[in-house]
Amino acid sequence: MTDIAAPSPFPLSASALPVPASSIPHPASAERTGAQVMCEALLRENVEVMFGIPGGAIMPFYHAMWEYRDQLRHVLCRHEQGAGHAAEGYARSTGKAGVCVATSGPGATNLVTPIANAWMDSTPLVAITGQVSSAVLGKDAFQETDITGITLPITKHNYRVTRAEDLPSVFHEAFHIACTGRPGPVLIDVTKDAQQARVAPDWNVSLNVPGFRPPAGPDARAVREAVRLLSGAAKPLILAGHGVIISGAAAELRTFAERTGIPVVTTLHGIGGFPEDHALSIGMPGMHGWVHVNRAIQECDVLLSIGARFDDRVTGKPSTFAPRAQVIHIDIDPSEIGKNVKVAVAIIADARCALNALLDGMPAADPIAETPSRNSVTWLRNIRETQATHQHRQSYMRRPDTTELMPHDVYAALDAELNDRGNYRVVTDVGQHQMWAAQLIEWRRPRTHITSGGAGTMGFAVPAAMGAAIANPGETIWAIVGDGGFQMTNQELATIRQEGIRNVKIAIVNNGYLGMVRQWQQLFEGRRYSGTPLSGPSFAGLAEAYGLRGFTIDRAEDARDIIRAAWDHDGSTVLDFRVEREANVFPLVPPGSSIGEMITREGAPA
Amino acid sequence: MRHTLIALVEDRPGALNRVLGLLRGRGLDVHSIAIGESEKPGVKRTTVLVDTEVAGQTIKQLERLIEVLEVTDVTNAQYVVRETALVKIHAPEPRREEIRTVAEGFGARIVGTCPQTIVFEMTDTPDRLGEMIERARGFGACETMRSGSLAMALGASARRADEPAEDVTRPWWSQADGG
Repeated sequence: MTDIAAPSPFPLSASALPVPASSIPHPASAERTGAQVMCEALLRENVEVMFGIPGGAIMPFYHAMWEYRDQLRHVLCRHEQGAGHAAEGYARSTGKAGVCVATSGPGATNLVTPIANAWMDSTPLVAITGQVSSAVLGKDAFQETDITGITLPITKHNYRVTRAEDLPSVFHEAFHIACTGRPGPVLIDVTKDAQQARVAPDWNVSLNVPGFRPPAGPDARAVREAVRLLSGAAKPLILAGHGVIISGAAAELRTFAERTGIPVVTTLHGIGGFPEDHALSIGMPGMHGWVHVNRAIQECDVLLSIGARFDDRVTGKPSTFAPRAQVIHIDIDPSEIGKNVKVAVAIIADARCALNALLDGMPAADPIAETPSRNSVTWLRNIRETQATHQHRQSYMRRPDTTELMPHDVYAALDAELNDRGNYRVVTDVGQHQMWAAQLIEWRRPRTHITSGGAGTMGFAVPAAMGAAIANPGETIWAIVGDGGFQMTNQELATIRQEGIRNVKIAIVNNGYLGMVRQWQQLFEGRRYSGTPLSGPSFAGLAEAYGLRGFTIDRAEDARDIIRAAWDHDGSTVLDFRVEREANVFPLVPPGSSIGEMITREGAPA
Repeated sequence: MRHTLIALVEDRPGALNRVLGLLRGRGLDVHSIAIGESEKPGVKRTTVLVDTEVAGQTIKQLERLIEVLEVTDVTNAQYVVRETALVKIHAPEPRREEIRTVAEGFGARIVGTCPQTIVFEMTDTPDRLGEMIERARGFGACETMRSGSLAMALGASARRADEPAEDVTRPWWSQADGG
């Protein structure tokens, strides 16, 4: 067994710079294979790492990759789903496009889940798949699957390339589309013969996508109208979503909120876009949001939504959402306007541009800062009073007769340690542990909270944390995951070991159930725990078997010490927190209800 | 409600597939679609009749597709619509002349004959085509084929998607529906 302290064979510094075209092994004019062109196209897009698994139809690309291995790191994953999520973790933690690679047929279909996940969460992802040779396309050849057809509804765009000479323009266009405007996944399917064909590539490619027109900037009239609405508001509220983080608008949001005195709600994907220790931060809305936040939404008279798409997990029953509010909706994607919620003013723009325009649009004498902040002192005080009444009853729902480790003990320890040390990212999976993480950790910085929100993909956390760890070697990446989600993609522990990734710390909130489903069965289906009890191996033992460090924790008083030990351990670790099995996430908006109708424990309306 | 949308779509592989796939994925029922070359090289013009309660949303989603250059909803605008049908009627003597007279009364013309059948071509509004086909059924029409509606707005082309709406204080969906 190799020493765990051995450095990665392909160290990657955080300061890795774009590769100048001159360092590419082939002179620009020389003839080379399509596969070599693919590698060089990736270098030209400043790609430094890709996650994948080889196979027959993508073998020419892997053959060529060997020549470029000093500049272009390939991380061999254990399943294509893991490769896709790892690329997502890389993208979500950096804002750059993540790249994943698979062969044709099952390799490509295994990428479907991460592609759908990236589609739902607006993640820039470029998926490269091999395809059978064009001579046998459409003849049900071995490992042939129509992956461009399969991924049509879950990609921003996709390409099937059958001619090597098209590769430079397709790759350039793909990265442009993936990263520009509202980011998203793009798939490039390259036939084996196109990878093998020899061409002298023409890198002098210009973008030719007239149908792709990201908005230029906010419309001045819409901005004026938004300023007018906000100026007259007595109970204004900001709803900050993922767009704030994607566009890098956290600083602008903070300036705007402080200048106007408007309280800020952050959605699940908006977490980190506004610091939760700020006086104007009131927390997360929606199905498992806080009572005071949902009540504030129901009471506010102007709701300024910035880069949020009014997902049903935020709105509850949409017809009852924010009934008193005139909604100002800032979104880069025009098709989001009016989709779920009626909008008074739409600003079609990147969140940062829109916030800058709003800041500029405020008159010097600043009626916004005058009127609403005078009102918003009272408004914010009302919100805080509701919070004082409800929140302390929500955070600790300990059963009176239990002395076991509660999930909340784990989060209290994690929250303390994360915010003491800083320099972390957290990737969460899907389910109870995800909601507790969103609720119980105090989030402060953009891109520190990465989760599968829209698609709700269990199995996301472990590989995505691995991708984030490769992108951010100087930081500690915590994956918080349930025992169900962990067992969906835990084979990537082998990848973590093989690649010498030392900065992934996996905290399993292990309750022996598919907990969120079990909670619903308890609350809404008469405790019929159908298909939810879940066994597993010793996760610490499993970690050790993979050559990583494993810990098992079952007492509340040990949680903090073990988290510290794991953090200080020079290598990736797995922490198995054996928590109270039937702890629930509260508060909760019952399905189909208004967000104003929450329950704070079984049978107890707020 | 049935909307008549006119879309300009780049002629790239799979573009029509994407348009139809999007409408299917959103659970919308496509009543007819006609597609063919436009006046611009490499760009096809298509008329889609689709049942949607959220036409503005549907248009914005179509415009998200990379190949879709522009979508116009002409439902409430001034526009013309035409459709072509081929109708084969079983027309042995002695009814041949009667059939010919009735069909020509609808403005249909004969495009092919054999001793037992006549094939008529008719171009008119979809409603008039429906009437003619209904009448032809009475004569024992044996086969009909319709092209799908072709629509064209009168006057200058409607607002492009990337131009600002007339009045941003109005909810844009009321504009998108031509209201």
